[in-house]
Amino acid sequence: MRQRTSGPSDRPPPTRHRPRVAALAARVLCVLVVAATAGCASLASPTAEVGADRMTDPRPVRDGGTLAIALKSDPDKLDPSLASTAVGRTVFAAMCEKLYDVDARDRFVPQLAAAPPTTSDGGRTVTIRLRHGVRFADGTRMDAKAVKTSLDRHRTLPGSVRASELKPVTSVQAVGDDTVRLRLKKPYVPLLALLADRAGMVMSPTALKRYGNGFASHPTCVGPFRYAERVVGDRIVLDKDPNYYDADSVHLRRVIYRTITDGNVRLANLQSGDIQVGDQMDPVQVGRALTEPGLQLFNSPSLGYYGLTLNIGNTEGAGAPPGRIDTPIARDVRVREAFDLSLDRALINTIVFQDRYRPTCGPLPSGTPYATGARCPARDLAKAKRLLKAAKVTTPVRVRLQISTTPEDNRLGQVIQAMAKEAGFAVSLAPTEFATGLEHSRAGDFQAATTNWSGRLDPAGNIDVFAGTGGAQNYGGLSDPAIDRLIAEGGATAGKAARQKIYARLVERIRAQHTVLYLIQPTNYVSVTKKVAGLKVFGDGLIRVKDAGYATGGN
Amino acid sequence: MSYPIRRVGESLITLFLVSVVVFAGVRALPGDTATALAGEEPTPEAIAQIRASYGLDDNLVVQYVRYVRHAATGDLGVSSRTGLPVLDSVLEALPVTLELSALALLLAVVVGVGAGVVAAVRRGKPEEWLVNAVALLGLSVPAFWLGIVLVLAFAIALPVFAASGFVPFGVDPMENLRHMVLPVIVLGSGLAAVVMRQTRAAMLGSLSADYVRTARAKGLSSRQVIMGHALRNSLVTVVTVLGLQLGHLISGAVVTEQIFVLPGFGKLTIDAVFSRDYAMVQGVVLFTSAAYILVNLLVDLAYSVIDPRIRLGGAQ
Repeated sequence: MRQRTSGPSDRPPPTRHRPRVAALAARVLCVLVVAATAGCASLASPTAEVGADRMTDPRPVRDGGTLAIALKSDPDKLDPSLASTAVGRTVFAAMCEKLYDVDARDRFVPQLAAAPPTTSDGGRTVTIRLRHGVRFADGTRMDAKAVKTSLDRHRTLPGSVRASELKPVTSVQAVGDDTVRLRLKKPYVPLLALLADRAGMVMSPTALKRYGNGFASHPTCVGPFRYAERVVGDRIVLDKDPNYYDADSVHLRRVIYRTITDGNVRLANLQSGDIQVGDQMDPVQVGRALTEPGLQLFNSPSLGYYGLTLNIGNTEGAGAPPGRIDTPIARDVRVREAFDLSLDRALINTIVFQDRYRPTCGPLPSGTPYATGARCPARDLAKAKRLLKAAKVTTPVRVRLQISTTPEDNRLGQVIQAMAKEAGFAVSLAPTEFATGLEHSRAGDFQAATTNWSGRLDPAGNIDVFAGTGGAQNYGGLSDPAIDRLIAEGGATAGKAARQKIYARLVERIRAQHTVLYLIQPTNYVSVTKKVAGLKVFGDGLIRVKDAGYATGGN
Repeated sequence: MSYPIRRVGESLITLFLVSVVVFAGVRALPGDTATALAGEEPTPEAIAQIRASYGLDDNLVVQYVRYVRHAATGDLGVSSRTGLPVLDSVLEALPVTLELSALALLLAVVVGVGAGVVAAVRRGKPEEWLVNAVALLGLSVPAFWLGIVLVLAFAIALPVFAASGFVPFGVDPMENLRHMVLPVIVLGSGLAAVVMRQTRAAMLGSLSADYVRTARAKGLSSRQVIMGHALRNSLVTVVTVLGLQLGHLISGAVVTEQIFVLPGFGKLTIDAVFSRDYAMVQGVVLFTSAAYILVNLLVDLAYSVIDPRIRLGGAQ
């Protein structure tokens, strides 16, 4: 028998010692003393190094067991058409497979498709062959008609967040049982990246028919695990799916995603054994986890970035034509360049992120084929002051910086404030809660704002909507015909070498405008108990549990 | 108008006012629900579609009438964030908060009354100083700090209790207790300190009263005097204080649920406010208010049955 079938408590019990009462009392006393001074812990220097990228643990695993994974926030709707949170993608990774996926080297690989897509008609027709013998969690057969139903739903369902992503697709056609053909308005190379994300997720047509708009209560897809229950704000439970085409290689019996927003509480739960995996650990917790003998760390370079957006023309809201903003930083690119030159990215990384991330100055992540490899300009206060003088602005130039209310953003804001002051800027910080901050950014009601983007594998996903005129997330109101032309060229050009050249020029052009100041490329950090192996954490930051399980032969 | 009908009418008016205040209050929050829902990729098209599909384009009166019409049939709507029925989430969260509050109240009564009696009986002795010091600590220590210390001590150093989460009592009673002990201590400790101080003060008054002296003179044992006479009379004050502290218990539960990641009402409400989940916030507050108003109504009606003067008061 491959699986154990015991109840929820079949996770291995945390290691328990039975020391004598006196020893226990001493231990508790020590802990209380440490706890009383816990406020100083975050300022301590890291005592261990993270090391090179580590995306999995290859030790063999046994069948059975429940894995509890702590997520940083509660996912939104478990409906691939309507979902919009990054954390929701992690849950989908276990229960809703896509036509394509990414591998450890950030390459696209077929998942529910049988092979890479083929294009014809000058790139306007994309043909996808599907994997044979695949069934949804409810037993329905996954065929071309099911894929067409899902893609059409993504494109047309009211409120679908996928509709705009799939805008270039004009029609979807089921050709026989195992082939799907997509017709496009114009060649659109980033489509493959979209089909490797939620737009490529296929839902059971039986479940869609049965539950309609209530699909989020009964998400039914193809995946190693199937939906069991959800308690809002607390947990999402998935059970191993016997209908899965590769069920024999799935080891865990159950996966529970728990929402634990506070990083310290996530770490405490890891230490206590109540959870086995902590997702999105921030640098402070990583430093503390490194000294824990029972924990291991997975880390992969993120596809996203931390940055600053300066508002130079968003007067009517993102997406609307840019207007005129009469502030020094909006008027004159030299003032923006001076602001950029006042910042020391390496020092920001050290102070704010404990040196656990990487300085960057472009939107394309290092390690991916389109990374430009350009060196970031060093901090140059003399040049910054010269630029401000040339721009004939009165110093200090006042800038109101909108930051989120997280401790990390607070530190980032304070460091930027201190650095910019030396060049002649007076930065005031405006901590703003997430939903309000998003609304201000969209409406253009800000001068400068911190940005945190989770990232996409195709370069278009990190650039187009942020830098293109009328882009949905072009909160700074940047409008440059040369940038728009290069964006269009990048989307329509096939071939890696040709695209690399286009995106290198595009990034240079964006950087020259100093509207989005790219600062840091984060790292995906996932802390895991050493009892667990086989987990995978790739560049997209998703935790893949298909091959995970409890390690055989002890730790 | 008869008393029961008048009270029911008053309750309905109160409920109506609560629904208006909550409806308006949630919408007065800065930030747009459609933008928040569109998440990382808030395209104008997606925002417009979300706005249309949740009826956010309609004016506030239309939205309010639609909401009340549905609520009257028991339909509290669907969470704009999770797509799940609000009523389901409310009914899942309710037992968690009820259990947490009830156990914290129990802890406060048992520990607070016991310590208060000891402090009064042993007045001027080391026991009183110790109890007073511990009570002062219970009042002074912030809940979040106490929570962190308890987790470090009793979930990590000594893995006896769970650091967070909830297991329903019906699923596994032992696991339920393992998860509830630390939150109950955090929530109950402050209240226990208040109860202890009130019990001590009331007991000191009772112990110097004439009826206690008479009881002693009659030859009753110390235990009979303290438990049967002094404490019994002091409990009136304690019960009054407990009633006044119930509001603090509920607000304390919100903080405790955040610290220990308990999926109760507090956590549900805070998550909903931060994600501008109008339907969820309205549902939770309306449900709580309706329950509160209903309990008050039933109590008043019960009073009127027990004491006819209450229902006849208006006719005098």
